[in-house]
Amino acid sequence: MDISTPVTRPPDLYGRPRSDSFMQKLAAFSDNAVTRLARRSTPPRRPPATEMPVIRELVVVAKHQEAEDVVSLRLATPDGGTLPPWQPGAHIELHLPSGRKRQYSLCGDPADRHRYRIAVRRIANGKGGSAEVHDALGEGMRVAVTGPRNAFPFAAEASLLLIAGGIGITPILPMAREAARRGLDWRLVHTGRSRGSMPFAAELAELAAAAPGRVSIRPDDESGVPEAADLLCVSPAAGAVYCCGPAPMIDGVRRAFGGSRASALHFERFAPAPIADGRPFELQLGDTGRVLPVPYDRSALDVLHDALPDLPFSCRQGFCGTCRVRVVHGHVDHRDRRLTATERAAGAMLPCVSRAPEGERLVLDV
Amino acid sequence: MFRAAPAHPERPSEPIDHHDLVLQPRDVTFDWGATPLHWLPGEPFATHTFDVLHLMLPELERWFVRTFEQALPLITDDRLREDVRGFIGQEAMHAEAHQEVLEHLLAKGLDPAPYTRQSEWIFRRVLGDRPELTPAAAHAHLLQRLALIAAFEHFTAYMGHWILDNGHLDQAGADPAMLDLFRWHGAEEVEHRSVAFDLLVHLDPRYRRRVVGMLVTAPVLTRLWIRGVRFLMSADPELDERVQVRFRDYLAAARKDLLPRPGAFARSVLRYFHPGYHPTQDGSTQQAVAYLAASPAARAAAR
Ligand code: FES
Ligand SMILES: [Fe+2]
Ligand SMILES: [Fe+2]
Repeated sequence: MDISTPVTRPPDLYGRPRSDSFMQKLAAFSDNAVTRLARRSTPPRRPPATEMPVIRELVVVAKHQEAEDVVSLRLATPDGGTLPPWQPGAHIELHLPSGRKRQYSLCGDPADRHRYRIAVRRIANGKGGSAEVHDALGEGMRVAVTGPRNAFPFAAEASLLLIAGGIGITPILPMAREAARRGLDWRLVHTGRSRGSMPFAAELAELAAAAPGRVSIRPDDESGVPEAADLLCVSPAAGAVYCCGPAPMIDGVRRAFGGSRASALHFERFAPAPIADGRPFELQLGDTGRVLPVPYDRSALDVLHDALPDLPFSCRQGFCGTCRVRVVHGHVDHRDRRLTATERAAGAMLPCVSRAPEGERLVLDV
Repeated sequence: MFRAAPAHPERPSEPIDHHDLVLQPRDVTFDWGATPLHWLPGEPFATHTFDVLHLMLPELERWFVRTFEQALPLITDDRLREDVRGFIGQEAMHAEAHQEVLEHLLAKGLDPAPYTRQSEWIFRRVLGDRPELTPAAAHAHLLQRLALIAAFEHFTAYMGHWILDNGHLDQAGADPAMLDLFRWHGAEEVEHRSVAFDLLVHLDPRYRRRVVGMLVTAPVLTRLWIRGVRFLMSADPELDERVQVRFRDYLAAARKDLLPRPGAFARSVLRYFHPGYHPTQDGSTQQAVAYLAASPAARAAAR
């Protein structure tokens, strides 16, 4: 997206030796409008923050053990008021007392406008968000919540295969209920280590009883660790597959999908993949600017974003190119799949994925 | 092993509203190796009416991205800011995908450069930044351009919905890769159809601002489109250089439902002037997300 090259007045479309009169007119029209603007003096103002409360204080009204290491929380407004509506696949973000933010799929009934339900598995070596929900968030406590938002929308195709791995059942459960309610042709497969570790067994059994032959439960310790292709083989011809579970399972399903009969694959995309082989390095803002350390487990973009909150970015996966910055000094370890060799040689870098060798300092033109 | 659908579907077509969608760009991979120049067989006019988009959109959508990046610091609504971030990534991907088609056209002997140079002129020089402006005037200039973008997004959303709904293009033997490009793009346009409008209203809620945006965009876009079709028809090495482009060619293609019908198109533009207009009133997010999960290009890049 090099916009620095000066644009010259474009020639005629048909190679006639004159400049294009429509182009001239557009430029004159715009120049005229801009000249009139220059006389204006109302200073720019940011709009007032919207009335729509983005962050809500909710109360934990019930907490249940759903399986080994899995608790569910029911959340309601302090005054029992209605909550914003949601659709299967939606999640909310919890702002935990420690300041950590974690997103959890809603797994209750969308028709219940007074309570949200989420379920959380304790992750032994995670960064503590799940442990905090388990240990520090009790009944009666308040928690700030944003959302709901939906990154895994349910399109209610006529025939469906829903694949859930372990705690990945949370967004899938409301989808199955919605499919049943709409009379769609659906199947659900729930996998997990063992029955004891798989949440919502009773609710799934209830669904299965009402819809015989549609629900299958596959604990690894009974039926072996399933191959993605085996999971997909229940998929209807020309049907859609919805998959939620641990990253290796989603990757497996994505790889095996081409060989299946299904026609569409939905999965929840957790934006940035964990950083592989990250080493600490430094960023310097401008020739004489601040120096920001980038730790091994954070992206350069995350660090930059803390310092410059209005920095553009979008995909955080190194393909859209919107986070592009210019490096004036230092060696970049390019990890994107967007920039050309020429762009890299000219100093372009995509900080959402690209890094620098350990201890190196990159001087950015920002 | 899989039974036929049950005989008692309960309200099967009840739509799902997804106004809380998280917008995310998708990586895509297209292979133009098997795509002929006239990718709608025997329909050079309809083919080139779509092809104008390849010539216009790369510059246009990059201009969207640059303009929205300038608006980012002004946004005070967290959710809208997230939407704008999703929007710029999607538009940046659209620009790249159409840019690749330009190389394909060139390889087929059609040089798009005379027209794309004009696109550069429009979206960098005519509608680009004006460094000479005071901050107050620059802000007003930004709002004007956001109003043009909101109006333009009304057209892309209309086209997106139209092409997702249209089965006639498949029946006419349209090249699958090209159809997928337009449907993937169209589906993301439907997905993010309210972002530009919401951003404009957030920064300037006045009805007049919106109306002026459409009053400028609609005629200029129409004119640019007609010029584009004329240019492509004359630059097409597989057509006689003196081929005429007439309004009735458009009507004929529209009657075959290979292009949007003029009446429906005009009514859609008029809806934009309704004080209660909101982009979510047209199009279906449910349909868009269903297509995006099925798009071969989006799946080819997913690894
Ligand atoms: S945010 Fe998309 S490439 Fe960095
Ligand atoms: Fe677009
Ligand atoms: Fe768009």
